[in-house]
Amino acid sequence: MTNPVLDAIRSRRVVRAMTAEPVARSTIEQILDAGRWASTAGNRHLQRFVVTDHPATLRVLRMVSPGMIQRPTAAITICVDRAAAARYGYAPTAGGLFVDVGTAAATLMLATHSLGIGAGPVSSFSTAAVGVVLGLPDGWSPQLILCLGHAAPTQPPPFSPRRSLRWQDLTMWVPTDR
Amino acid sequence: MPTAWVLDEDDALELLAFLITAARCQVDEAAEYGPMRLLIAAHRLAESIAPRCSEETRTLVSGTMQQMPLLAVPRDDRDGYVARLDDLCRAVAEHLTVRYEAGTAQA
Repeated sequence: MTNPVLDAIRSRRVVRAMTAEPVARSTIEQILDAGRWASTAGNRHLQRFVVTDHPATLRVLRMVSPGMIQRPTAAITICVDRAAAARYGYAPTAGGLFVDVGTAAATLMLATHSLGIGAGPVSSFSTAAVGVVLGLPDGWSPQLILCLGHAAPTQPPPFSPRRSLRWQDLTMWVPTDR
Repeated sequence: MPTAWVLDEDDALELLAFLITAARCQVDEAAEYGPMRLLIAAHRLAESIAPRCSEETRTLVSGTMQQMPLLAVPRDDRDGYVARLDDLCRAVAEHLTVRYEAGTAQA
């Protein structure tokens, strides 16, 4: 018996080459709707999603994002609302805020994959420049850009040869003798 | 030797932005990303100049350079990575030597 959720988790890949075909606005909205279901610490929802499918904005966003290999037709920038976080008593460097960014990104990427769209996360960008390009409100700190687009038939080779990791390679049981 | 303009303002600005923001990113990133970012910049420059450069330079940027994978990092096969970069450096040097007649005896 197949499990569609596990199948989606196993078949998702980072897409680093995208066609010029736009992603429908309704599809982007479905992806964003999935994102709001991502779990957050204390159900606080301190992440903000800044979206663009505007070609000129995407072009400049790519110029200030060295990690953006692909040319996306839409992008969701996940930000942390630091002002809201401070009101909860979070220190600026609190790790939990970034865990929630990762959880949101994973949820968005799975939703994107399930809709037949490619996604590629980018964390190498100038936060200062991205803030200017997207006109972010004070206190919104960009943490990750999720590039969206239709996957091109040919993808660039990955960073290093693909390793076949087993879950056991990443796991330690406690106690170890059971 | 007269040379043609091969980069327009938009292409140059794109590369400028990439280099400046990559410098900032590299402060916080894994060291292995350093050469990758420089090679990505080289690939982008190559892509921009290829339509307007000389046939010989085009052979370098559209042929030889493309043999260096865009996302390669010196991780699992450092020796192989260095060897491929050395090959590319030699190809660049050979192109420059011919273009500028370096190493030839002066009359």
